[in-house]
Amino acid sequence: MSGALTEDVPLDGVPNLPQLYRQALALTVRRRIRREALPTVLPAVRHRADGVAVDLGALTRFQHLIGSTARDRLPSAYLHTLAFPVAMSVLARADFPLPLLGMVHLSNEVHQDRQVGAFEHLDVMARAEDLRPHPAGTQVDVVVETSVDGERVWTGRSVYLARGVRFDGGTAEPRGDEDRPPFAAPVPTGLWRLDAGTGRQYAAVSGDWNPIHLSATSARALGMKRAIAHGMYLAARMVDEAVPAPSGALDWRIDFTTPVLLPGTVTTSFTREQQDRGAGVGGGLVEVMGWSAERRRPHFTGWVRAE
Amino acid sequence: MADQHGARNAAPTPRTAVVIGGNRIPFARSGGAYAYSSNKDMLIAALDGLVARFGLQGERIGEVAAGAVLKHSRDFNLTREAVLGSALSPETPAYDLQQACATGLETVVGLSNKIRLGQIESGIAGGVDSASDAPIAVSEGLRRVLLDLSRARTTQQKLTTLAKLRPKDLAPNAPSTGEPRTGLSMGEHQALTTAAWEITREAQDELAFRSHRNLAAAYDRGFFSDLMTPYRGVTRDANLRADTSLEKLASLKPVFGTSLGTPATMTAGNSTPLTDGAAVVLLGSEEYATANNLPMLANVVDAEAAAVDFVHGGEGLLMAPVHALPRLLERNGLTFEDFDFFEIHEAFAGTVLSSLAAWEDADYCKRVLGLDGALGSIDRSKLNVNGSSLAAGHPFAATGGRIVASLAKMLSERGGRGLISVCAAGGQGVVAILEGRN
Repeated sequence: MSGALTEDVPLDGVPNLPQLYRQALALTVRRRIRREALPTVLPAVRHRADGVAVDLGALTRFQHLIGSTARDRLPSAYLHTLAFPVAMSVLARADFPLPLLGMVHLSNEVHQDRQVGAFEHLDVMARAEDLRPHPAGTQVDVVVETSVDGERVWTGRSVYLARGVRFDGGTAEPRGDEDRPPFAAPVPTGLWRLDAGTGRQYAAVSGDWNPIHLSATSARALGMKRAIAHGMYLAARMVDEAVPAPSGALDWRIDFTTPVLLPGTVTTSFTREQQDRGAGVGGGLVEVMGWSAERRRPHFTGWVRAE
Repeated sequence: MADQHGARNAAPTPRTAVVIGGNRIPFARSGGAYAYSSNKDMLIAALDGLVARFGLQGERIGEVAAGAVLKHSRDFNLTREAVLGSALSPETPAYDLQQACATGLETVVGLSNKIRLGQIESGIAGGVDSASDAPIAVSEGLRRVLLDLSRARTTQQKLTTLAKLRPKDLAPNAPSTGEPRTGLSMGEHQALTTAAWEITREAQDELAFRSHRNLAAAYDRGFFSDLMTPYRGVTRDANLRADTSLEKLASLKPVFGTSLGTPATMTAGNSTPLTDGAAVVLLGSEEYATANNLPMLANVVDAEAAAVDFVHGGEGLLMAPVHALPRLLERNGLTFEDFDFFEIHEAFAGTVLSSLAAWEDADYCKRVLGLDGALGSIDRSKLNVNGSSLAAGHPFAATGGRIVASLAKMLSERGGRGLISVCAAGGQGVVAILEGRN
């Protein structure tokens, strides 16, 4: 998608997520009833919300929920959370080809140029790009760029999968477990014990009330056995635990393999790349994995690199 | 031979421990801007600013010592957890210390001694307290039942245990500033001392007024610009009333000592309010400071702790520093005349004024302190020149760090010698000497 042809859509503030989900639900129902053909290309738009301010109370609740510190700098994952409604407003558009509800979060990759303070005003831009086939359906990248006074501070690319949706005429062929190499769990370094309310608690601090995270009943309506943990909740904990007090640039990536059913226990492994003793300890690359020891399946893999 | 023998057994000459700098967050009134910040949050916020100011990212500090007076049991390793949440190297060891309001000063004393002995090269001392996010305990009745319940095996045992629960057991226990052995609050204790020393309402209001005026002036000349990091939108101590006046202070109603039979003189204006905040101090050997190109503001010279029998009426609860000070001065061969700055923690205006009166009282000094005569008078123009707890507020364990960093900076600017006196619950107190390096 060429930038020159992209239309900028300024939003009147940050959209309301529950309203976007209702809008998306209505769109899905309408498409089913009218048997409307799905659009096959991404809308050439870039949604933007300028001057987004942080609510300190909400920030503190977010920081505490992910086990972080109530400091005046924003967790990297919180920058994703602040931008998320803008990103979702692109996916909830009537001309967006994939159904927003029930989409699966595959991965996130973030480059943060510098730490962002709680009192800075953020300009958020979001667009979707690279609609492409996936063995189990169709995937799309949602790209968010956040800047302060015209200077880029945070860029994130989230990959989503719409299961069973295909535009190339083929049929979805979910890859079976037999194709995967057997899972070899690394040496564990920690445990995350997530209670049944984890999804609701994270919804309350992030505003992401996607029903797939809230209760077993609402999750079943979207094809899950039980409620599943938000991917960004796992990512936020991963980044904070890997680098609790970043001071400069920060890069990280997380790939989600299997959902974390709630309640559940995630066994984790954090491994810091060994450095020269003289170089000081604390920076560098941290490799992360989270898995179910019981089911012997990985939930996610990731890495965090601090300047 | 004897010389050689003596040289082998002599204690090595202690090194010098220096104050390199400090950092605190502005103090907030209880229930104010830090109402939802925990002790760990605030301690990390203070550490974050110190790390940024002195470039300590990823550095392994010799040891970090800090504490909190109002501390939840889950925070048993508060300081180590704060280190792990900070940008310091995770290989930095830490320990918690608690000596009521003297906590912060005692961490400075302890780490300075380790530096002087050559056990560590650098240290971070400090403290934090939240009166807003205070731990609340369950009642003793409920606690007993819950513990028994965890040990009960059969349903029958569990039901029998639960049946012991009474409705009154469900009421929570909030922490209080009351002395466990006397049941009197700290304010009521001080009211007894204030009355005994016949400290007037006017003198207390005057001290409070000067505290606000001095703190405001220190802010105005930018004194705190390299001693403080804003937090949660607060940029200066929320308790500071730069526009207060003696008239306003005189209009406040007494809150302590209202039933003593003597005039009640202690008000909310001349007593410190409940406050939230944190303060830390970076200490090091001279070699450490030189090697890392860090400033040396002042030397930590010596310190002395004391305790008094307040339970049986022998002495006022907050009068222990009065006893510690003559011992410290004698050991160092110093008198009040040798000091340029006095930092006497203002738990209450009455505490400071009772201490000054005691040191000026020849009979008391002979009878109680065992001196030959009065210890002496303190020149008021040298007392709490940048304000103290009445204006800044007093998050218990954070006060020592606030005082040490501010005094060290004054000594680096003006030279000379400074005396610190901090009273504490339990009838304890710690006094210390800092010395400028020029």
